[in-house]
Amino acid sequence: MGEKPKLIVNGVRTDGRKPGDLRSLKITAGFLHRADGSAYLEWGENKILAAVYGPRECVPRHDMNPYKACVRCRYVMAPFASLEEHGRSGPSRRSIELSKVIREVFENVVLSEQFPKTAIDVYIEVLQADGGTRCAGITAASVALANAGIPMKDLVSAVAVGKVDGELVLDCNKIEDNHGESDVPIAFAARNKDVLLFQMDGLLSKQELGKAFEMAEAASEYIHEVQVNALKEVYEKKKAEIEGENNGV
Amino acid sequence: MKIVVPGESVGDAKNIPSTYVEGGKARATVVGLFDEQEGRLVSLQGTYNPRFDDVIIGVVEEVKFAGYTVDVNCAYKGFMSSRDCRKPLRLGDVIAAKVSSVDEVKNVNLIEAFVLFGGHIIDITPTKVPRLIGKKNSMIGMIVEATKSEIRVGKNGRVWIRGGDTSLAARAVFKIEAEAHVSGLTDRVQAFLKKEMANGSVAGIAELSERNDVEGARQ
Amino acid sequence: MFIVEILDEVKRDYVQEVLKKGKRPEERGFFDYREIALKKGVLSSAEGSALARIGKTQVLAAVKIGVGTPFPDRPNEGIMSTSSELLPLASPYFEPGPPNENSIELARIVDRGIRSSETIDLESFYLEEGKVMSLFIDLYVLDHSGNLIDASALAAMAALLDVKMPRVEECKIIRTEHVGSLKLGEKVVACTFAKIGEAIVLDASVDEEAATDARITIATVPETVCAVQKSGRGALKVSEIDALIDKSLEKGKELRKLLV
Repeated sequence: MGEKPKLIVNGVRTDGRKPGDLRSLKITAGFLHRADGSAYLEWGENKILAAVYGPRECVPRHDMNPYKACVRCRYVMAPFASLEEHGRSGPSRRSIELSKVIREVFENVVLSEQFPKTAIDVYIEVLQADGGTRCAGITAASVALANAGIPMKDLVSAVAVGKVDGELVLDCNKIEDNHGESDVPIAFAARNKDVLLFQMDGLLSKQELGKAFEMAEAASEYIHEVQVNALKEVYEKKKAEIEGENNGV
Repeated sequence: MKIVVPGESVGDAKNIPSTYVEGGKARATVVGLFDEQEGRLVSLQGTYNPRFDDVIIGVVEEVKFAGYTVDVNCAYKGFMSSRDCRKPLRLGDVIAAKVSSVDEVKNVNLIEAFVLFGGHIIDITPTKVPRLIGKKNSMIGMIVEATKSEIRVGKNGRVWIRGGDTSLAARAVFKIEAEAHVSGLTDRVQAFLKKEMANGSVAGIAELSERNDVEGARQ
Repeated sequence: MFIVEILDEVKRDYVQEVLKKGKRPEERGFFDYREIALKKGVLSSAEGSALARIGKTQVLAAVKIGVGTPFPDRPNEGIMSTSSELLPLASPYFEPGPPNENSIELARIVDRGIRSSETIDLESFYLEEGKVMSLFIDLYVLDHSGNLIDASALAAMAALLDVKMPRVEECKIIRTEHVGSLKLGEKVVACTFAKIGEAIVLDASVDEEAATDARITIATVPETVCAVQKSGRGALKVSEIDALIDKSLEKGKELRKLLV
C-alpha cells in the first residue's frame, strides 16, 4: 500500500473532486442478450456487469422454498480487476460475505412470494475495481433485476461515504479507500429511503455517522435517476430509432 | 402512456395488476407501460407466469404412470394427465395445450393436448404475445399469409413455426418482440415482410453457391 | 438439465431440415461469420484488454503481466498462462463453480494457437536467474450465443495487441509506467466449423451448436496452421479437413484485417 499520500489538498481530492462529489456514473440496461435481465455500469474507474436469471426452476432442490422464490447472489471480482498482481479467480471470503449482504438487500424489495419454489439468480462480476464496488454492484444489480421483469417494490441505490484526512467525503475511490480512516457503504430503497445495506469500518463519531447518512441519501437521489433513465432508455432508444426511420432521417 | 419503473407512483387506484399499494399510494412493481387514462399497467419484461385458460406450447419432458411432465417455458412444470389424453404422448413431443388449473403452490395442470409435428420452436418475451397475435389475430395472420408458414403462438412466449419461409417468419416474430412498445407496429411489420420477400431470392442464390463450394470440397 | 436436451432434439431436426435446403436458419452463407465487432482497451486495470463480439456472443479478454519463477525445464523462458471462465451470467446453463471441461478445453485451444505460433517471444521475458515475466490471459465469456472459441481467440489476440508493457525495475513491475507495446509475431486467428448431418458451417449459432455432430477448430497464422481441435462424437473425412484448412486460411485473412 505504501506511504499515505495527502488525500485532500485545498478542499480538492486526488481525482479533482470536492468532498461531496460523485464520480461519473453511466449505466446501460440490457447489455447482455442471453440473460433475462442485465446491466453494465461504469462508475469512475469501476466497471461492473450484473445479470439476472429467473424466476427459474430451483436447482439444487434443497435451496427451494415452498412459499417464495429463493433469491441467490454471487458477487465476484475478476482476477484482472485491480491495478495490482493477477489475482485468483473465483469467490474469496470477502466476496462471499458481500454476496450475502447484497442478497439480503434484494430479498427486501423482490416480491418473492409471487414465485414459490423458484430461484432468482443475481450475478455481479466486477471487471475493474476502483473502490466502492459493492455499492456499484448493488446499483447495477438493481437495474438488472428490473430489466429482467422481476416484480419488486423498489429500486435500490447505493453509495459509500468515507472519512479521509479527517473529512467526510462521498464515493471514495481506491486510494481514498486504502488510506482513509473510515468507510461506510449504504444502500437505500428509493421511495422511502429505508436502509437496506449498512456496513462500516474505521472510527466515526455519532455526529459524523449522521452526516454520512445525509450525504449518502442526497447522492442516492441522483443515482436513482441514472438507474431510471437506463431502464427507460432500453425502450425509448428503440422508439427513437424507429421514429427516426419513419421521418426519413 | 408512459414508461414506469419499480417503485414509481402510479396514482392511488387499487387492484391494478403489477402494482402494490403502500400508504394509500399505488406503485409499479415492474418496468412497464402505464396507461394513465385507463389505469392499466402492462409489463414490458418478465418470464411466463401460468394462468387458468392460457393456451401454451410445451414439450413433453417426462412420461410417468399417471401422465406427463411438460416443460412450459417457465419455472413451473405443467402436468398432463393420461386420462385427459386421447392418444398417448411421447417423450419430446411438442404440444399445444390449455391450462386447466394453477393452485397456490403453482402446480400447473394441462388439458386438451394437441401434438405439433415437425417444425421449429422459438421463444419470445411472454409479455409481447398479445402484440404478436394482434387484434383478432391480425398480426399473426399477416405473417402467415406472407410466409405461408403454419404458426402457433403460446401464451408462454413459445412460438411454433412449420413450413413455408420459416426463417422469415421467425425474423418477423423477433421484430415484433423488439418493437412491440412502439406504435405503428402493423405497418412496419407489413413493410418488413414485403421488403424481405423481395430480397429473399437473391440471398438464396448466394447461399447455394457457397453450398456448392462445400460439396466441391468434399469430392 | 433435462429439458435442454429435449428442446435440442426439436431444434436439431429443424436445423438439419433447413441446412438440407441449402440455407441457414439465420439467412447467411455456410461460410459467413455473423457481424464481428472488436473493441480494444476496454479496461485500464489490465495491461491489455479487448471485447470481441460475434453476433450476440461477447467475450472479454484481459492480459496481465507479472513477475514469476520460470518452469524448471525452461529456465530462460517467461510464463504464459491462459484461463477461461464460462460466467454464469453468460448462459442459463453455465453454473458457478470451478472451470468444467468445456471451459478448460476453450482456454487450452486458444492457448495452443498462441503458443505454437510463437507470436510471443517468451525468451524476451527473461529477467535474471530464476526470475521471468509472466503473462496471464483471462477469457471472460459474458454472453453465449454460439462459437465461443473464435470469439475468445479474437479477443485474446486483440488484447495482446493492446498490451502496454509496464516498466520493470530490479524484477519489480511498475504498472504506472509503460515502455511500449508487446512485441508480437504473426497474428493468430481461429476458425471453428460445425458438421451437422452432411453439411458443414462456419461460426455456428447456439441452435446450430445443439445440432452439431462434430466440430473442428483450425487456428492459423498467414499460410500456416498452428493448432487444431476436433471435438464431438461425429466424424470428419480427411478430404473435408483438407478443404476446411484452405477455408480457414482464407477466412483467417478476413479476421486478421479486424485485428489492427
